[in-house]
Amino acid sequence: MASRAFVRRSIGLALIVGAVVAQSFAGFFTQELIAEAAILAIFALSLDLLATCGLISFGHAGLLGIGCYVFAGLTVLAGGSPNLAFPVAIVSGGAVAFMVGLFAVRTTGAFFIMVTLAVAEMLYAWGFRSKMFNGADGMGGIPRIDLTAVGIDLNNPGTFALTVIVVCAVIWLLLELVVASPFGRTLAAIRQNPSRVAALGGHVYFYRLAAFTASGMVAALAGAFKVQHINFISPDLVSWFVSGDVLIAVVIGGIGTLVGGPLGATLLVLLKETLSSNLGHWYLFLGMIFAFVALLMPKGIVGYLLDLNDRLAARKRPSECRQTERAT
Amino acid sequence: MIALETRSLCKSFGSLAVTQDVSLAFEVGWRYAIIGPNGAGKTTYFNLLAGNLRPDAGSILFSGRDITRLDVTSRARVGIARSFQRNNLFPDFTVRDNLALACALRAGTARVFWRPMRQLTSAHAEADDLAAQVGLTEVLGTAVRHLSYGSQRQLEVALALACKPQVLLLDEPTSGMSPEETSRMRVLIADIPRTLTVIVVEHDMDIVLDFADRIIVLDYGRVLEQGTPAEIRASEVVRERYLGKSALGYSGGHAP
Ligand SMILES: Nc1ncnc2c1ncn2[C@@H]1O[C@H](COP(=O)(O)OP(=O)(O)OP(=O)(O)O)[C@@H](O)[C@H]1O
Ligand SMILES: [Mg+2]
Repeated sequence: MASRAFVRRSIGLALIVGAVVAQSFAGFFTQELIAEAAILAIFALSLDLLATCGLISFGHAGLLGIGCYVFAGLTVLAGGSPNLAFPVAIVSGGAVAFMVGLFAVRTTGAFFIMVTLAVAEMLYAWGFRSKMFNGADGMGGIPRIDLTAVGIDLNNPGTFALTVIVVCAVIWLLLELVVASPFGRTLAAIRQNPSRVAALGGHVYFYRLAAFTASGMVAALAGAFKVQHINFISPDLVSWFVSGDVLIAVVIGGIGTLVGGPLGATLLVLLKETLSSNLGHWYLFLGMIFAFVALLMPKGIVGYLLDLNDRLAARKRPSECRQTERAT
Repeated sequence: MIALETRSLCKSFGSLAVTQDVSLAFEVGWRYAIIGPNGAGKTTYFNLLAGNLRPDAGSILFSGRDITRLDVTSRARVGIARSFQRNNLFPDFTVRDNLALACALRAGTARVFWRPMRQLTSAHAEADDLAAQVGLTEVLGTAVRHLSYGSQRQLEVALALACKPQVLLLDEPTSGMSPEETSRMRVLIADIPRTLTVIVVEHDMDIVLDFADRIIVLDYGRVLEQGTPAEIRASEVVRERYLGKSALGYSGGHAP
C-alpha cells in the first residue's frame, strides 16, 4: 500500500520531471508558458502553506505584489543590483506578512479573507496612483538576476524557465519537510481543532503568524520572479484576479496537499492559453471547466487521487486498512 | 497547600446566571468531584478555570498566583489541563499522532521545523505509554474519526494526561463508555499520582463516592453543598435537590 505522502511526492516528482523535459524540447513560446506556470506554482505553494493551518487568504496577490514592487523599485528606480534586490524582496514579503499577520491572524474564516483582501486592495490602490512606478500604465525595464558568474544566463528564456522550475522544486521539497515536522504537524492540528491546540498549551497565534510570515516570503519570491519574467510591473499584478487565480489553482489541485497547487497552476496556465487562443468567451469556459472539476472532486485532483489510493488499499486489505491508516 | 482557588467567581450568559459567587479551594493532591443536575453550570465552571471563558467577576488563583487574566494556552502551560465533555480531538490524525503532538506541545518541541515529526522519539514513546494507560494500544494507528465513541473518550482523557499537569480537570470522562471502558477509566483515575490535583465532573455516583475526597454540589450555578462523600450522602438538601431516588441506595439506611 502506497502511503499518502508517497502518492503526493510521486505526483510532485512527475511534475518536476515533466516540466524539465518539456522545457528542454520547447520553443520560445512554450518556455515562456512553463516559466509562467512555475512562478504561479511557487505562488500556489505559498498559499497552500498558509492553508495548512486552516487560513485561506483572498489577498495573497498583496504579498506577491510586495515582491514585485520591492524588486522593481530596488533595481529600476534605485539602480540596485538584482542579485541583492531578490533576497531583499523576499525578506520584505516576510516582514509585511508579519506586520499584517499581527492583526490578521487573530481572525479566521471569512474575517481573515476580508482582512487579507483589504490589505491587498490597499497596495493595488497605492500602485495605481504611484507616480514612481508610473501608476496604472506600469513600468518596464526590469532586469533579471545576474548569474553569468556561474555560467547561467537568465536572459535566455529556456534557462530562466529551468531556473524557476528548480527553485520551485526546492521550495516544494523544503515545504514537504516542514509539513512533516513537529511544526507542520502542529499547523495541521490547528487546522483541525485550534481550541484543542490551545488547551494543550500551544500558542495558536504564534504558529499562524509564523506560517503567514513564511508564506509571505514565498509569495514575494514568486513576485520577484514574476516581474523579472514579464519585464514589467503594473498594479494588475496585485489585483484580486491574481489572488483568485492562485486560489483556484490550489483548490483545483487539492488544498492542503502542497503538490496540488503546482499541479493546479500548471493546468490553469495551460488551459488559459489553449482556451484564449481558440475561443471567444474563454474565461467563461475556464470557469465552467473548473466548476465541473470542483463538483467532481471536491478535494481537488490530488485530494481525489489520495482518497482513491486509500480506497484501493482498503479493498486490498479490508481487515488491516484501519489499523495501518496514516492520516497525513 | 492550595493548588487552585476561585474567589466569588461569577458568570452570566445574558440574564442566565450560570456561575454565582463560587468560592472554592482545591488542595494539592486531593480528588474532587463536582456534581449537579444538567445545566447546573459544571462545564461552565471548568471553562472559567481553564480560561475558555472570562468571568464577569471574581478571581482565580493557581498556587496563590492570580491567573484570572491568563488565556487558555498560558493556563495550560502553567499546569492546568482539561478533558472535554464533548470530544475535542484531531480527527484526521491517528491516535498516536494526537498523543505525540500533545506531548510535543507540552515539551516545547512542537516548534521544530527542521526535523521530521517521527524523529521525536521521546514524544512517541510517551504517546505509546499514554495509549497503553487508557487502553488504546490496539488502535494507535487508527485515524481518530474512525474510532469508536468510547475510544475517543479515552483519548480525550489521555490528551489531558499528556500535558503532565498539576491540576487535572475531567469533564464527565466516562460518559458514553461501555462498562469495561468505564471500569478501566475508574482504575486509571484512581491510579493518578497524588502529586496531581484532580477535579472530575461526573454523573455516575458510584464513581464519585468511590473516588472523591470531597464532593461539591452545584445547583443553578451556586455551591449548594460541599463535603466528604459521607457528609454529602447525609445532607438533606442534597438528597432533596439532586440525589433523588437513584442515589439513595448509597445513603445507607436513610432511604424512606
Ligand atoms: N456559551 C453559552 N452561551 C449561552 N448559554 C450557555 C453557554 N454555555 C452554557 N450555557 C448555559 O448555561 C447553563 C449551564 O451550562 P453548563 O454546560 O455549564 O452545565 P453543566 O452543569 O455542565 O450541564 P451538563 O450536566 O448537561 O453537562 C445551561 O443552561 C446552558 O444552556
Ligand atoms: Mg457539562
